[in-house]
Amino acid sequence: MSYEIAVLTSMSIAILFALSLNLITGFCGQVSLGHAAFYGIGAYVAAMLTKADLALPIALIPAAVMAGLVGVLVGIASLRVRHDFLAITTMGVGFLFVGIVRKQDALGGEIGISGIPSVAFGRPGLLLLALVCMVLFILLSIYIRRSWLGFAFESISDDEDTARTFGIDVSKFKLLAFVVGTAGAGIAGGLYAHHIRFIGPDSFGFVESITVLAMVIVGGIGSIAGVAVAAAVLATLPLWLQFVDDYKLLIYGSLIFITMRFAPTGIAGIVHTLWQKRQAK
Amino acid sequence: MLAIELVIQGIVQGAIYALIALGLVLVYGLLRILHVAHAALYTLGAYIGVIIVNQGGHIIFATAVAMVAVGFVGIGVYRFAYKPLLDKPPLIALIASIGLFIAAEEIYRIIFGAYGMSFAQPPLQQQIELFKGFHLSTARISVVILSILFIGVLGWLAASTRTGIAWRATVSDAGMAASFGVNIEKVRYINFFIGSALAALAGVMVALLNNLVEPTMGAVPAYKALAIIVLGGLGSVRGTLVASIALGIIESFGTIYLGHVMDRDAIAFTFLIIVLMIRPQGLLTRR
Amino acid sequence: MTKIFKSLSFAVFMALSLPFAAFADSIKIGFNAPLTGFAAADGNSARVGAELAVEQVNSAGGIGGKQLELVIYDDQASPKESAPLAVKLITQDNVAAGISGSYSGATRAAATIYQESNVPYISAYAVHPDITRAGDYVFRTSFVGEVQGRAGAKLIGEMMGHKRVVMITLNNDFGKSLANGFKEKAGDFGIEIVNEYEYSIKDREFGAIVSKAKSDEPGAIYASGYFFTAGPLVRQLRAAGIEVPVIGQEGYDSQKFIEIAGPDAEGVIITTSLDRDSADAVTQDFISGFEAKAGYPSDMVAASAHTAVLVMADALARAADESAAALREAIAGASVMASTGQISFNALGEVQKDVQIQIVKDGNWRHYAVISDTELLAPPAE
Repeated sequence: MSYEIAVLTSMSIAILFALSLNLITGFCGQVSLGHAAFYGIGAYVAAMLTKADLALPIALIPAAVMAGLVGVLVGIASLRVRHDFLAITTMGVGFLFVGIVRKQDALGGEIGISGIPSVAFGRPGLLLLALVCMVLFILLSIYIRRSWLGFAFESISDDEDTARTFGIDVSKFKLLAFVVGTAGAGIAGGLYAHHIRFIGPDSFGFVESITVLAMVIVGGIGSIAGVAVAAAVLATLPLWLQFVDDYKLLIYGSLIFITMRFAPTGIAGIVHTLWQKRQAK
Repeated sequence: MLAIELVIQGIVQGAIYALIALGLVLVYGLLRILHVAHAALYTLGAYIGVIIVNQGGHIIFATAVAMVAVGFVGIGVYRFAYKPLLDKPPLIALIASIGLFIAAEEIYRIIFGAYGMSFAQPPLQQQIELFKGFHLSTARISVVILSILFIGVLGWLAASTRTGIAWRATVSDAGMAASFGVNIEKVRYINFFIGSALAALAGVMVALLNNLVEPTMGAVPAYKALAIIVLGGLGSVRGTLVASIALGIIESFGTIYLGHVMDRDAIAFTFLIIVLMIRPQGLLTRR
Repeated sequence: MTKIFKSLSFAVFMALSLPFAAFADSIKIGFNAPLTGFAAADGNSARVGAELAVEQVNSAGGIGGKQLELVIYDDQASPKESAPLAVKLITQDNVAAGISGSYSGATRAAATIYQESNVPYISAYAVHPDITRAGDYVFRTSFVGEVQGRAGAKLIGEMMGHKRVVMITLNNDFGKSLANGFKEKAGDFGIEIVNEYEYSIKDREFGAIVSKAKSDEPGAIYASGYFFTAGPLVRQLRAAGIEVPVIGQEGYDSQKFIEIAGPDAEGVIITTSLDRDSADAVTQDFISGFEAKAGYPSDMVAASAHTAVLVMADALARAADESAAALREAIAGASVMASTGQISFNALGEVQKDVQIQIVKDGNWRHYAVISDTELLAPPAE
């Protein structure tokens, strides 16, 4: 059982993390190549707090707040630069985060933080907490999608200048997307730190940012269900692929490439096409 | 004196960045794609160069073969990976490119081995004393000279030949260029060929400097070259050159004087973020 | 159709059941190592080293008639992968113990889980200081960085007699802990640290550091790194006309270092745990056996994984019963002659052994000296 619990926990955290980016990139159209930085901020904040004997569910709140605050800063940057310039700026934020954490002895520097306590009720307890956070975030995503907010996000995503002519306060909504998205990543990071119970700067680097972006794109930009499925699959693919031994990463990379090349709309697009074909019959 | 040495070391590094980033900016200028897999072509070039030299080939011959072969692989990448995705959002091509890059790194590892390769007898290692107490190897000097040479030729081609004019027309407005009878497809092929060949040249040069070619040697150029073309203003060839050299020199001084506060990447990206906050359109730009 | 299906499923059944039949009476040991991705070179060397040890143990009759069996998983040197895999090894593969052939982060994450499940775990070559602090079920058969750093200080300051040293430090847990150990003892051996430069594991270009180091005019350079960073670094130092001795550590310890640095590798001295010129039979068997099996000369990670398996096999043979607690006791009380020397553990589970000093001579690693100062080499005990 414990292995299944560990795998399910990995999945839930990945889904939460991917959906948090989906809010920024999928809903609001702001590409981020540095989302792992916020994951990392959440992980470090939560780990420091639980090591000081705070309970994880409470420690997740400051983790989210801290990630969200830094998210505002990046959001402000997004008002200044656009499109690919923004993508590379966020990538820079990711490198900056890792570069700074490396040199902070208070955060363990290169050594990282180990001995992160386990949560109440152990692994099942953590799984439960992760599931609750994940479900809440899914509900939040659905709510946003259906509300006026979702419409505003979508119009910004389609064309910022047109959105502005509709009287949509583009700056305000962009900042909002960044705050909510990065705070979600902070929670995911806090959960991750207590899942693996060891964190170091290398866990939150560029590769992690790319991995989560791949989940969003492979799932189908903006699709909540698609992104959730892609996150669950891609997060645990290396575990399932143990049997292919030497070819594991090759298959992982090829799968991402092939999905994009032959089904650019991602998992959501594939399902949608299949559904339409069935309806047509 | 030390300052001059650090500047020269920075220029050598910058020249390598320039060779890699040029291919990337050519692709971006035409297709608006962030071509991460470009770094995989750079690695491929390095492997081809080392293998040919170790088989007894001359370094110049090896470099030429690497450039031509990788140039054609570049065309293949465009034809099979990017062409079908041109009408899709650019993010799709970016992720496809990343997937391709991960897969390519693993293919190199499986075929050529995880330990990487070295020259049995590394060529161009003679020391030349530039000024008192400052030595540079022939390989380092060649990097700078070759970069200037190729970039100069490229600039001349773009300015004064029919193909160059067609290329510039396609970059500024593909639809308009097509209506004037420019074969856009041909322009793109040539574009990928030249860009990929330059990456291969950079790969062989780096192999000469480090005497080590690894499956993952493209990992750093994969993102740093993106940063450089953005810094240069995306699509601006001159901007890319300036950004490459600037970054090389800043990293050179940064590793010495800021090394205790930030690592090399963080130094580079701090510079990038500062520049973009002041000039959101990059260092140099025509806009 | 059904016939084909039946014969197919029979074939599959046979294929699946055969290995189980063959190993019905075996003791399983979990082994995690990076077999794909950036650390694959070390991971595969470690795997071959561990497999060699298992073959040697089995051909000598196994453990009380039972064969030793490795269950190998690829962790890509990532804590994110190694933690669930450790759970899988313990709860699904029911391994009796685990060995890490992986890097620090992955090993540290797995150590927590082994400790929690009370299954013994030996880290073969990961240097992270906190690994053994996971608890009493976790051991390490390689040096922590600090110990090797101290040995480096003695080597440079006392044995070689160089007093002006420039440090070039790799920015990760390995480089940092080496630097800490070196600085801690540098004063005792009269060493003045002129300057310290830092670089990242991704760097292969050291132009700026080389220029600056040259202007410092040191008597020796203490540079931490792995063969893939140290090879280019040494080459570039020599190319700039810096002729002073370069002192490294076990990260250099691979034939590949000599291949990359070429003639410039001559005279480079390192602190490590494998002595190529050892007269000991276990070490010599390992060196020849590894080269035959892997097709390239042995290195430090392979020797370390080999050692970890031998220590585990010895403990399995000596354990009072089949319980994990008895196995833990047996490991803690180990005194084994392995390929990296005479192994025993302190109270924390850190190894106590001599530091081997090797030098590159005529394109090969050769014996230079050995440091067996137990006070200097005392690993952390808590």
